[in-house]
Amino acid sequence: MSEPPEPRQRPLDFRLVARLFGYTIKYRGLRNALTVLVLLRSIQIPALAWGIGAIINGPVASGDTRGLWLAIAAYSAFAIVTEIGFHYRSKLALRLGDLVMHDQRAEVFRHLMRMPMAFYHETKLGRIISRITSDIEAIRVGVQDVFFVTIVQLGQMIVSGILMFLYEPALFLLVAGIGPILWFLTRYFQTRIGENLRSMQESFSRVTSNVAESISGIRVTQGFSREAINASIFRGLVADHSRYNIGAARTTGVFFPLLELNAQLFIALLLVVGGWRAMDQSIAMPVNDLVLFFFLANLFFQPIQVIGNQYNAALTAMAGAERLFSLLDTPPQWSDAEDATVIDRIDGRVEFRSVTFGYAAGDPVLKEVSFIAEPGQTIALVGHTGSGKSSIINLVAKFYLAQRGAVEIDGRDIKTITGDSIHRQMGIVQQHNFLFTGTVRENICLCQPSATDADIEAVCNRLGCLDEIRSIGLGTSVTEQGAGISLGQRQLVCIARAMLADPRILILDEATSAVDTFTERRIQRALGTLLQGRTSFVVAHRLSTIRNADLVLVLDHGRIIESGTHFELLLGGGTYARLYREFLRGE
Amino acid sequence: MTSRSGPLKRLLGLVWTHRGECVLIIFLQVLILSLAMGGLALSGVGIDVIRHELDPAAPTARFPFGFALPALHGMPLVGFVAGLILALAIIRLGFNIFYTRRVADLVQGRIVVDLRNGLYEKLQRLDFRFFDANASGALINRLTGDVQSVRLFVDGVVIQSAIMAISLGVYLIYMLNIHIGLTLACLAATPLLLVVSVAFSRIVRPRYLDHRRRVDRLVLWLTETVRGITVIKAFAQESMARERFEAANDSVREQQFAIHRVLSFYAPSVNGITQINLVILLAYGGWLVIHNEVALGSGLVVFAGILQQFSGQIASIATIMNSAQQSIAAAERIFEVIDEPAAIASGPDARPLTTSTGRIVFDDVTFAYGPGLPPALDHVTFTAEPGQFVGIIGPTGAGKSTLLSLIPRFYDPDSGEIRIDDLNVRDLDLGDLRHRIGLVFQESFLFSATIAENIAFGHPAASRDEIERAARTAAADLFIEALRDGYDSRLHEGGVSLSGGQRQRLALARAVLSDPAILILDDPTAAVDTETEREILKGIERARRGRTVFIATHRLAALRGASLLISLDAGRVVQIGTPGELAAAPGYYRTLLQLERDDDV
Repeated sequence: MSEPPEPRQRPLDFRLVARLFGYTIKYRGLRNALTVLVLLRSIQIPALAWGIGAIINGPVASGDTRGLWLAIAAYSAFAIVTEIGFHYRSKLALRLGDLVMHDQRAEVFRHLMRMPMAFYHETKLGRIISRITSDIEAIRVGVQDVFFVTIVQLGQMIVSGILMFLYEPALFLLVAGIGPILWFLTRYFQTRIGENLRSMQESFSRVTSNVAESISGIRVTQGFSREAINASIFRGLVADHSRYNIGAARTTGVFFPLLELNAQLFIALLLVVGGWRAMDQSIAMPVNDLVLFFFLANLFFQPIQVIGNQYNAALTAMAGAERLFSLLDTPPQWSDAEDATVIDRIDGRVEFRSVTFGYAAGDPVLKEVSFIAEPGQTIALVGHTGSGKSSIINLVAKFYLAQRGAVEIDGRDIKTITGDSIHRQMGIVQQHNFLFTGTVRENICLCQPSATDADIEAVCNRLGCLDEIRSIGLGTSVTEQGAGISLGQRQLVCIARAMLADPRILILDEATSAVDTFTERRIQRALGTLLQGRTSFVVAHRLSTIRNADLVLVLDHGRIIESGTHFELLLGGGTYARLYREFLRGE
Repeated sequence: MTSRSGPLKRLLGLVWTHRGECVLIIFLQVLILSLAMGGLALSGVGIDVIRHELDPAAPTARFPFGFALPALHGMPLVGFVAGLILALAIIRLGFNIFYTRRVADLVQGRIVVDLRNGLYEKLQRLDFRFFDANASGALINRLTGDVQSVRLFVDGVVIQSAIMAISLGVYLIYMLNIHIGLTLACLAATPLLLVVSVAFSRIVRPRYLDHRRRVDRLVLWLTETVRGITVIKAFAQESMARERFEAANDSVREQQFAIHRVLSFYAPSVNGITQINLVILLAYGGWLVIHNEVALGSGLVVFAGILQQFSGQIASIATIMNSAQQSIAAAERIFEVIDEPAAIASGPDARPLTTSTGRIVFDDVTFAYGPGLPPALDHVTFTAEPGQFVGIIGPTGAGKSTLLSLIPRFYDPDSGEIRIDDLNVRDLDLGDLRHRIGLVFQESFLFSATIAENIAFGHPAASRDEIERAARTAAADLFIEALRDGYDSRLHEGGVSLSGGQRQRLALARAVLSDPAILILDDPTAAVDTETEREILKGIERARRGRTVFIATHRLAALRGASLLISLDAGRVVQIGTPGELAAAPGYYRTLLQLERDDDV
């Protein structure tokens, strides 16, 4: 499912840079050492090039053999020092990148864990994943390369520029004159290549999402014999992508040869101007300086392209940083109040006092809802889809906070209790249950990692589903949906998981809708004993559960329209009684 | 297609198919290289010309390979050389642009496109067994990443190595032409370069693979945490989630440290070896220049330039070797799909099936999902008459879905046969067969398209009238019309999201659009609540008129109106008969009925 693409780059922003810089403070020793190495390197590289030129110019041109050996010895020693420095420079830069990347990922995850449920309903998974992958990778390049590489390259450019200027100011002006041309050439093409790349990525994501959909929907496609039509749609997308791909290759294919042409143009100019200045008696530039220029000019030009690349990387890192920080800066819509305290053992009295609640402002899904659940009671929620059953559950679980009114547990406003301490004493089973990759055992023991197989079997035995759990196998691994175990079996695992937690408040939201009738029956019977001593909220289509409930709440459009026991409501002859009659006829 | 030949042979075959283009590309690159060499040589000549003009004692400038200079002197000669440099550069620019276009057209325009289309078409024709056995992520990778890796064999391996071999040859000849002794001395350390780069790629590659796995684990855990956030929060497992993420995060960092420790030796080593070459050049070459055996410009300076290029080419051998490994691995995965026989297809003399009465016979059908697995269907025999409503019941794993999936030939039985209108389904045209059947699955997959397009999925040419009629039949018309864009509402991609019951009724509309004689409903109310179930059943009740309908279900409500019930257990038919007959005899159905009664009394 493609989403509107996020911008690939954004302009340099000093605040973002400063904030990124902040991540290196923890590692300031490393960072400072790296800075020193990088500064050294920006001098070492032109020094080496100058050395070659100087050797050719000096001892070689003048025929001084002894001088040649000495110079070469000095050059070798300097080269060795340079390469050792290079090793440490690479190592420290990469390490700094590793460290910052690690810290940012950990920070994102810690932040995610603080976000309330609403955040997860609003945010697409793909976006969160690109925060910790591509965005943080782009930032990594920014932190470990852009700054340091730019220092090296700028330094190299300045030092070689100074050297050239010292030798032949006039010739250097020629070099400097070509610089801006190169810079604009580089910027122009990099912008175009960036655009190409974006269209390429967009067309590619269309190909990928088409492939993903084709594979997920293959059964439908074959069942409806639509292979040929799908193939022609796919061919169109591939052709489109290929066109952008070729376009990008063509742009690059002009850019690099142009750069080379520029270098050759420079050499030709150097020969002509240098030759003229050398041969003109009035100037008589030493010809050997020309040789030196051949080596130094390269060092002067190279950085232009490299810095251009780094500039691009910096813009990409800015876009990544902007997105990362906007995620980190999104405050949780709410979090536990500062003075919220732990609730040690929940008795189980739950009270709603004129609770009004909506997921979006101004669109309440619960209106003035009030009821009391005494400890150990079973509350059945009845009503059409969208009547507010799930919202009541979401508020009891403190997944959301009510906008008006109060939700109380054991007489305490839920806002004054830490969510964590409620969740530790709560069990929840839903219609669509999520299992984590791992074994069935690991999933059942989610919150009791120390539970033994015997513990698990004891719980399943009490649930009356030991046979089923055994036939699934505790060691069976749960993988991608569809593979491994069936829908009904998943539900069983989730029920066992909730029961093993020995919760004080239990929430069953259509918990047995996908198991077959026999298993469901057995679980229903077992639930009778299991619900005892716990306050439970049940959304179910089985009448037996509703009939045995201590309190039935009938909801309609966010309001409680009837409440009471099954028999009271039947006698009342209202909505519930009508629903019940329909139900009987239906089955 | 030879199915058993190795991936390398297949890759070479791919290159062979495009041999003309490959040769042209290599030829272009040789021209470009020669022009570049010419430019480099001329700049050396230029220096020598100036030196000779200034100091007649310095050796006379010579073109390489003994070409004579024009009889000019002073600035005109320098100008001539400079002009020549520029001319060569411009010609090279032209060739270069032409070269990248040819490569892009061949590789991205033809090879990748052909591979993707071929793979996609093949994938669509593969049977369900294949998709059962392969994770969807891996299949997506074959069409995206692996295809690029395979084409890399053409431009990154074959063309690159040819270019490398030729250019190394050209450099070598040129250097030898300048001075044999100097060439050999300068290249003495070069084999080390090869050793170092190969050694590094050997050490680093497996670590990168390991790194990839660790990052995948990290992302997988993040994905699961987000998708399972309700469970994490409901069970107060945030700290567990954090610990697991941090463990994965630390393990990624440690692995990065290890890789980067090794990697930070690579560039300095390569540079160091290049420096050794350079030092030898300066020492020996310098000595030769002093003794007037080699010219300073066209000798020493040019030599230094070539040496750089040479080292670069040698270091790229490691890249080529990596690409080769990568493309062979990818080729194996791709050709595995291409070679996979499409087990279920229309035979050469398949019979058309333009209409059907809907009479279906299972004749002693046995089927297992794989060799060695227990049969999912065990000698199943029954007959469904036209217009019958057949309910398939039985506990989970009894074989209900399997039975249904044999009718449209998603699988073929191991023994026995299935007949439609007394014709074996295997003898029928597969497209015709499936067009006579309408299908609704447990959880229906809808595509990112409009509602109308989804209903017309099997018959894109269907008119709006037909689409609306199908929606009415499936009792989906009211909710569709209530949507803001009605039939043109888009699903997914920021479009409308439908409830489970709406999705199933849409799937039902899709199934009945072509007015099929047979309707197959595989547990269509499995994952829904009672209220939604009622919505779906209302649609089914209308849709089943005038068709043979099969429904697999464990809900009694869905069986209302059934004329034949087949009760399965462990792949065998244990009971068959009208609901009345089954209610009268002990068995699954009667127990179901009793349970419901207990429940409601």
